[in-house]
Amino acid sequence: MTRGTLVYIIQRLAIIALTLLVVSFGVFVVVHSLPGNAFISQRVHGKSLQLLLHEYGLDQPILIQYWNFLKGAVQGNLGVSLYIRGEPVTPLVLRELSVSCELGGAALIVTIGLGITFGVLAAIRQNTWVDYLLTSFAVIGYTVPSFVIAALGVMVFANFLGTLTNGNFAYAAVWTGTYGTIGELWLPALAIGLYTSGQITRITRASMLEVIQQDYIRTARAKGLREWVITLRHGLRNALVPVVSILGTTVVGILVGVLVIENIFGIPGLGKEFVESITEHDYNVTVGVFTIFALLIGVSNLIVDLLYTVLDPRIRY
Amino acid sequence: MAATLTPWEEYAGGTLAREQVGLWRDGLRRLRRNRLALAAAVYLILLVVMCVVSIFWTPYNPNLVGTCPDYTLPSLAHPLGCDDLGRDTLSRLMVGSQVSLAVGLICATIVMVVGVSVGLLIGYLRGVLDAIFALIINVFYGVPPLMVAIVLYVLLGPGLINIIIAIAAVTWMDMARLVRGQTLSIREREFIEAARAGGARTGRILFVHIFPNALGPIIVQTTYVVPAAILTSAFFSFLGFGVPAPQADWGGMASEGLSPLLSGFDPYMLLFPALALSLTLLAFNFFGDGLRDAFDPRQRR
Repeated sequence: MTRGTLVYIIQRLAIIALTLLVVSFGVFVVVHSLPGNAFISQRVHGKSLQLLLHEYGLDQPILIQYWNFLKGAVQGNLGVSLYIRGEPVTPLVLRELSVSCELGGAALIVTIGLGITFGVLAAIRQNTWVDYLLTSFAVIGYTVPSFVIAALGVMVFANFLGTLTNGNFAYAAVWTGTYGTIGELWLPALAIGLYTSGQITRITRASMLEVIQQDYIRTARAKGLREWVITLRHGLRNALVPVVSILGTTVVGILVGVLVIENIFGIPGLGKEFVESITEHDYNVTVGVFTIFALLIGVSNLIVDLLYTVLDPRIRY
Repeated sequence: MAATLTPWEEYAGGTLAREQVGLWRDGLRRLRRNRLALAAAVYLILLVVMCVVSIFWTPYNPNLVGTCPDYTLPSLAHPLGCDDLGRDTLSRLMVGSQVSLAVGLICATIVMVVGVSVGLLIGYLRGVLDAIFALIINVFYGVPPLMVAIVLYVLLGPGLINIIIAIAAVTWMDMARLVRGQTLSIREREFIEAARAGGARTGRILFVHIFPNALGPIIVQTTYVVPAAILTSAFFSFLGFGVPAPQADWGGMASEGLSPLLSGFDPYMLLFPALALSLTLLAFNFFGDGLRDAFDPRQRR
């Protein structure tokens, strides 16, 4: 790693920190101005409500509250939950993050695996039925909402297959433990991954089509290299730069997918917590989830930008 | 002056004499040749007809509980069956199209007006405004737009108008960014200099000289905003942040169909709204692709 790269990373980390500051402040103010108070879903009124508001510092001016939150946040303490009163938010959110990461990671594997494979196949078989089939698949993938794909999956693999095999090979639609087994994980991951892999397929195909027209591909072929070596080492390697450039968007897409899919399968991760914390007015949890999502997006964008330098040594920071 | 033409002049004259067609006719001609886009357009026209019909007439009252026994399977009297409260699914599906179309079209209009105005202004004036915009973009691109929209919607309170506002608030930036880029390149062209020399005011330069020249990409981007907004609103309803109760909308209907599906006794409650939603999104996307190929051939992929 050169000195320049190190300076670049430090600059980017500073920008991420700044973004986190702005995001957390914005969300903090908005969440605290939601109609109704923090304990509205718990039916607390009158004197006891005043006492509770005072106990959690919610009767102070909003800027002071944010300042207190910030003082804790820089030390990794995101405050306490107002719904499960007194439960610290940081360990709660971190545990849910690990669940979401399991799902999101599986979705990322699906995305990259399917996306790049399909993109390359469609490009080297351009204008054949393989190409048409795979491109249509990609379009359907990024158009049809993830919850529809999940529901169709449940319909086929849980209900239909269940009836067919007397329940022996049925998919268990509702998550039982905190972490999913592979048998539980594949359908939610596929439902999220089809959407993002559609985009990757499109970009990979377009980029490969451009690369395989280059002179060095003809040279490689003239040297008598095997076709798969040409496709993978000479073609794909050079076609990857535009693909990597949309990986940032892919991560956001996966996070949105996680948000929706977790609520279908009852997966106890950040997405489910986000929706619950908003309905329950659990301010600190909402802010915590937002902050973690912003951190994830910031860091993955940084990793993507560093990946460029690995793929194309001409790019330096 | 009937002078004899050299072969070259004849050739050039012949080329120039070819039928001249404007942007619109040329684009429409190319659009007509695209079968997929045409099929999508036919579907969308049928959808709009169904939506308008549903304002005046539906087979049954869409909100009347107990029109038929709960979870009635599809039959002749109720082609798409009935939901958990015995409401006719076909009627609810028809009425639900109003929500989807309203969200998609109104959102796209707001995004176009706001995005184009902001994009033109910051692209032309640059300076401080541009820096502020860059900051806003950086912050908003740092969090999933769906989450921001949900929080905004909860803040604004329930209602169709507020769904539209919340979604527009997180989608206008892409349009503004696109128009800003177009403006940055168009503002350096000679005809803008000529207009300025001729004494045209900023507003006139922006809307009479720059805007028409950026119209192609703007139209194309707008047709992608429609399905994106419909999709986001479906996510809203699916997560329980949809339009208030008796009103039917596809995302909400799909969400209500989830538990009968998971318990495995009635897949239809989810299947039909999900199909309607998916077909509509596909149609808007195919139509958008067709428009892009027809009106903005440079962007063709």
